[in-house]
Amino acid sequence: MDNLIGQGRAAIDLIIDPETFQEGEVGALRITDEDFGASAVIGTAGLNGESCTVIASDAMTSNPKFPVVYAGIIGLEEGYKMALAVYHTLLVDADRPLAEKRPILLIVDTPGNGAGKQEEIFGMNKATGAYQMALAEARKAGHPIVAMVVGRAISGGFLCHGLQADHVLSLSPQFETMIHVMPITSIARITKLDIEWLQALAKDNPVFAAGPDYFYKLGGVEEMVDSIESLRERIIAHVEAVRAAKIAGKWDALGPWGRGHLSAERGGRLVRGKVIETMNEEFAAVAERYLS
Amino acid sequence: MSRQWENLQSRSFLESRARKRALGLVDPGSFTELAGPRDRLTSPHLPVLGEAVEFDDGIVTGVGLISKRPIFLASQEGFFIGGAVGEVHGAKLANIIRLARESFDRMLDADPHLPEDKRPAVVISFDTGGVRLHEANAGLLAHAEVMDQFQDCKGKVPIIALIGGRVGCFGGMGFVAAAADAIIMSQFGRLGLTGPEVIEEELGKEEFDASDRALVYRTTGGRHKYIMGDCNALVDDSIAAFRTALKEILSKTYNEIAAMGCIGSLSKVETQLKWVDLCAKLSPKDAKDVWRYAGNEAPDDLVDMPLDLYLKSVKRLTDRCKENQDG
Repeated sequence: MDNLIGQGRAAIDLIIDPETFQEGEVGALRITDEDFGASAVIGTAGLNGESCTVIASDAMTSNPKFPVVYAGIIGLEEGYKMALAVYHTLLVDADRPLAEKRPILLIVDTPGNGAGKQEEIFGMNKATGAYQMALAEARKAGHPIVAMVVGRAISGGFLCHGLQADHVLSLSPQFETMIHVMPITSIARITKLDIEWLQALAKDNPVFAAGPDYFYKLGGVEEMVDSIESLRERIIAHVEAVRAAKIAGKWDALGPWGRGHLSAERGGRLVRGKVIETMNEEFAAVAERYLS
Repeated sequence: MSRQWENLQSRSFLESRARKRALGLVDPGSFTELAGPRDRLTSPHLPVLGEAVEFDDGIVTGVGLISKRPIFLASQEGFFIGGAVGEVHGAKLANIIRLARESFDRMLDADPHLPEDKRPAVVISFDTGGVRLHEANAGLLAHAEVMDQFQDCKGKVPIIALIGGRVGCFGGMGFVAAAADAIIMSQFGRLGLTGPEVIEEELGKEEFDASDRALVYRTTGGRHKYIMGDCNALVDDSIAAFRTALKEILSKTYNEIAAMGCIGSLSKVETQLKWVDLCAKLSPKDAKDVWRYAGNEAPDDLVDMPLDLYLKSVKRLTDRCKENQDG
């Protein structure tokens, strides 16, 4: 297998315990209408012997009701369907201790959110926002959430389905994985900057260039995985690491805030920390005036 | 100071710069800017691309008071690279929310019975197209941090979004605003995910002409969002009008404010899914198709009528939903 682009379902089978996937079922949730959010796949599988919620995109199936939803795009229905899977995960483990909260596995291969007139009229921003808030709630409730980029993780699509995870992993670029906001050609067109100059700058500057390596440097990806065969083992290892960190109370080392720390360690986003420190110091000096 | 503050009140929200909005929204003389221009925390990435920097990186962050309540405020500057979010801008936005939540925790630790009207609130004036392409990767990661901080505020600190600037609120910041507890807009405010130019690129000019301002406004503008129930209050274009609506929302309890939001719980997602079904059923060619469905028999009249008349006569989709439930 050269790569996994467009093969979300195949990626699920490579990762989970063999023949354990119950599609459309999470806790009490049963999705039986095949057309509902057809480009999103949700369900429950075994992962290393425990129940795990799986959320992926299906690039082969377009949504018959919403013409802009194809090739793994997350549309209105898909965003809410993914959110339903997360909320039902929260419900089914509501009474379990941290050590027993089931993991949520996000298999990431999406070119973005639905971009259409109907989507804007009804508010695509709500659908993608709803899914992110659900993931953040589940992460803070103790579910280990691991995102595995196996194909495309583009801009708002990656924010929606990936960047709210505790840990983000990516297959290395030899598998044609793509992580970016926009290709450099589009950035050049919109910023009116010279494309060749931008490409030359991109070699040493991870902040605007496209590719998983640059996100790794910026702390946006915890680990690069360099073979398809090791996906399963690496994901299981990260689920365990995340779970242990939560039990140890190291919440700030996980999720988007944890990736901020990681960025500084890797020399990526160096001013971020200074900004936060400055604000905290300046606020401490005036806090009494506001908080008494 | 007080005279200057008085003068700010009648100013157009649309025309005002970010700092004036911030100063005018909170009580006179109460605003302290954090990581302000004097700190010169500028983008390290823009100079590499030969672009000018601003000493506040296009966002004003600070703390003020509204009726003795601590307000943690962020105000984006649409005039600087379209209010776009880079590393510094994003860190300021995420951290002002974090400071609000940490302050809440401290105050409630000290006094578990602290009255609600003394507890911190977050107010964000959005004026942004989302990620700043010059530092796109850092900007994207900052968006995720802001959503993370929003979730930390749940059950504690209400977050109110204000949208009435020139740029509106698009891209990733469109879903950040949607995750706020309440949204106040003027009719000049616009809220969405995909900007009009990108929709035109995707669908073609016959489907969506991005240069048609009326079309753009009725798809994402304040009057449309009010009908959809996606903004909670629609106000005049003045700093005073935004402040009045803000004070009114802040006079409610946390639970009342949290109930105003569109997303953030299973039951809210289930409600939104009903609208998605309606979208599939109506297949609207234009926002006016939905206005008509909501009970507005002459949708064209809603576009230009004075705001007070609009607010008196408009039928909202959310009202129709209630009627259906009651009937």
